[in-house]
Amino acid sequence: MSELFTRLGVLADTLAATPILAIGLTLGAFFAGNWLFARIGRPLWLPPVLLSACLLSGVIAVLALDYQAYQQGARWLTVLLGPATVALGIPLYQQMHHIRAMWRPIVVTLPIAATLAAVYALVIAWALGATPEVLASLAPKSVTAPIAIGITEQLGGSVPLMMGGLLITGVVATLFVDLLARLLPVKDERILGFALGLNGHAIGTARAFEISHTAGAFASLGMGLTGVFTAMILPLVFHL
Amino acid sequence: MTMLRGFLVLVLFFILGESMRMLLALPVSGGVLGMVVITFTLMVKGSVSDDLASASQGLISVLVLLIMPGVVGVFFTADQFSGQWLAVAAALLVGTFLSVLTTLLLMKLVTARGEQHRE
Repeated sequence: MSELFTRLGVLADTLAATPILAIGLTLGAFFAGNWLFARIGRPLWLPPVLLSACLLSGVIAVLALDYQAYQQGARWLTVLLGPATVALGIPLYQQMHHIRAMWRPIVVTLPIAATLAAVYALVIAWALGATPEVLASLAPKSVTAPIAIGITEQLGGSVPLMMGGLLITGVVATLFVDLLARLLPVKDERILGFALGLNGHAIGTARAFEISHTAGAFASLGMGLTGVFTAMILPLVFHL
Repeated sequence: MTMLRGFLVLVLFFILGESMRMLLALPVSGGVLGMVVITFTLMVKGSVSDDLASASQGLISVLVLLIMPGVVGVFFTADQFSGQWLAVAAALLVGTFLSVLTTLLLMKLVTARGEQHRE
């Protein structure tokens, strides 16, 4: 019997030493999070990514896995973020006719709104005494994750903190767009979609596709343009 | 097979973007450079192959899976930022409220003005 336990221990060590355990856990949590999200009626304030991340963290904590070792194994998945960022160029190309049709409001709004999205957060955090590392992690808060990871690494921020900020930004941007659309009021689906993508990246874009296909197209556009614009501008501005 | 062929194109453009970043010492990530270059390439070419479209759709649909390991980190590195949670929370909540308000008002204003011009 005790021999069996020894073998179990060896098995656990062997699995933990290969990336396959990290990949399996991440995939499992991803599908479990999506399933749970559908079961609880797709609430706006609790997106699948948050559910999956909580499940995954819980499992890592319960199994007492080393977080660094998990991260090392998960490299096999995260390395795909590079090609995935390149892939965002394809819907951008496919929606080029939308950009042409509404180029004036987009060209005026995008640079101002994307810059302010970062500046508002930076000024508030700075005034409340945040360290440079925290500021660098908050700056790309409205940028879609694969691009934001690149920006934060370049600025010297913490990727985990940035990811948390990104998640919260996406959720509250979705809630605020819904709220302000009623208060202002704004009914144009193109504007709502664009605002969702610009401020709420992928989470806002997912919400926009629930409003309508047009809103979804404009959200992808807003998300893509904000990502590119911020990635170009922020590293230059931040070093000043 | 077809999806892998499209994936190869994405990987090649990513390597191209990384090369540009390293060789020209640009402050932008290789993925973003690859995205900009592939968008312009498609605009010049005027069409996108089915292989590339399906590969990009596949990758974009699992974006959440790819960012999850990073999100999980916030639970394990949290104490590193103790004492700064107020600044972080205020920046995220108030900052996002202001930026959503700015975007909606600006878009509304410019769109309305554009339609007036047309009349």
